[in-house]
Amino acid sequence: MSRGSGGGYDRHITIFSPEGRLFQVEYAFKAVKASGITSIGVRGKDSVCVVTQKKVPDKLLDQTSVTHLFPITKYLGLLATGMTADARTLVQQARNEAAEFRFKYGYEMPVDVLAKWIADKSQVYTQHAYMRPLGVVSMVLGIDDEYGPRLYKCDPAGHFFGHKATSAGLKEQEAINFLEKKMKNDPAFTYEETVQTAISALQSVLQEDFKANEIEVGVVRQENPVFRVLSTEEIDEHLTAISERD
Amino acid sequence: MGDSQYSFSLTTFSPSGKLVQIEHALTAVGSGQTSLGIKAANGVVIATEKKLPSILVDESSVQKIQTLTPNIGVVYSGMGPDFRVLVRKSWKQAEQYHRLYKEPIPVTQLVREIAAVMQEFTQSGGVRPFGVSLLVAGFDDNGPQLYQVDPSGSYFSWKASAMGKNVSNAKTFLEKRYTDDMELDDAVHTSILTLKEGFEGQISGKNIEIGIIGADKQFRVLTPAEIEDYLAEVE
Repeated sequence: MSRGSGGGYDRHITIFSPEGRLFQVEYAFKAVKASGITSIGVRGKDSVCVVTQKKVPDKLLDQTSVTHLFPITKYLGLLATGMTADARTLVQQARNEAAEFRFKYGYEMPVDVLAKWIADKSQVYTQHAYMRPLGVVSMVLGIDDEYGPRLYKCDPAGHFFGHKATSAGLKEQEAINFLEKKMKNDPAFTYEETVQTAISALQSVLQEDFKANEIEVGVVRQENPVFRVLSTEEIDEHLTAISERD
Repeated sequence: MGDSQYSFSLTTFSPSGKLVQIEHALTAVGSGQTSLGIKAANGVVIATEKKLPSILVDESSVQKIQTLTPNIGVVYSGMGPDFRVLVRKSWKQAEQYHRLYKEPIPVTQLVREIAAVMQEFTQSGGVRPFGVSLLVAGFDDNGPQLYQVDPSGSYFSWKASAMGKNVSNAKTFLEKRYTDDMELDDAVHTSILTLKEGFEGQISGKNIEIGIIGADKQFRVLTPAEIEDYLAEVE
């Protein structure tokens, strides 16, 4: 009997399929889409903004406990799209790692270092059979001392890139198409334009107008580099500005 | 390495005596972006396509060619995340060698150690082989050298080699163009022409990466502007 397919386990653990693919990693990507949420991140001239849907499936749930936006340090934020439990464990480890970094090296963990750490951890899960890949795509944002506003996206395969704008989740491809058109000529968005581009991208792709409590928005700005989650009032202001603009 | 639950090797022999996981890893390499290397009389050049998934990706945040030591550089075809792991291990190996011998690590020694790591992952419990092939370019007391390391952990020294999607066309092209007395500049031009052969779209300084090392024994990655200059010369 030919054992060309690795005994059929190539779908169960992260070993290669005959075509050189890792099915478990590909399934992890599908798990991210299965969460039903879409997220968007946009980098402006001096700020970064991330937006995600806030779906509260049950009226009895405490809305404030439903979140995908996590501060890792005062200055770094992480938007986790996909399986919430996997996201929480990743955030917990990232917070620990960032705190240790600050203690060991005496300065704040930069955005790209955190993104690389997350990506390298994800790579380990794609190579060792004992741990499955996490069903999370992470968008990490912060203001870098040298390079200014930075947005990174890390996926279950262990890839990470810096982005001018990006998306993750159910309508990822539609959102990226929308953003590619907007960012074509390398516009240098102001803070307001950055936030409004992100929110309007989400509205356009999902074809619905949001209320302030249906989305979560996180920002970092060069003038005040702390990671902040916007309040419903602030989100309302931006939503109004968008509808008046159109 | 690997958890105790998985203290058995996942890469095992098939009845025909093949290690199929390694073959699949090579298939993964073969679907990666094309990369190549050329050893000239006075240096080595390595190059790769740098096709990013979207124009939204900040190409300055991605560097596919990495410096392992001041006089050794490396490029890959295959899975980027696996490549990062090998680069990190190589940095450490090079540093440990230097601490012990108070000398920069020779190219052959570093290649041997990277290859040993790759072999480990084809035999240890609970892990899969690396889905990358590497081209290591260096210049030490033994002159300019170019080595290719495969997922199995086997390595060979090459005068010129290519890996990835367009490997057969690229190798045919290189076989025709290679001469033993090539200068580094000629090698850079040849590598650009080779990449151009299978390139989809318009080649530019932003969608390829080139690393060179000359008699100065300093490995460096060319800036997009420098690549554009070479591209203009090639036209």
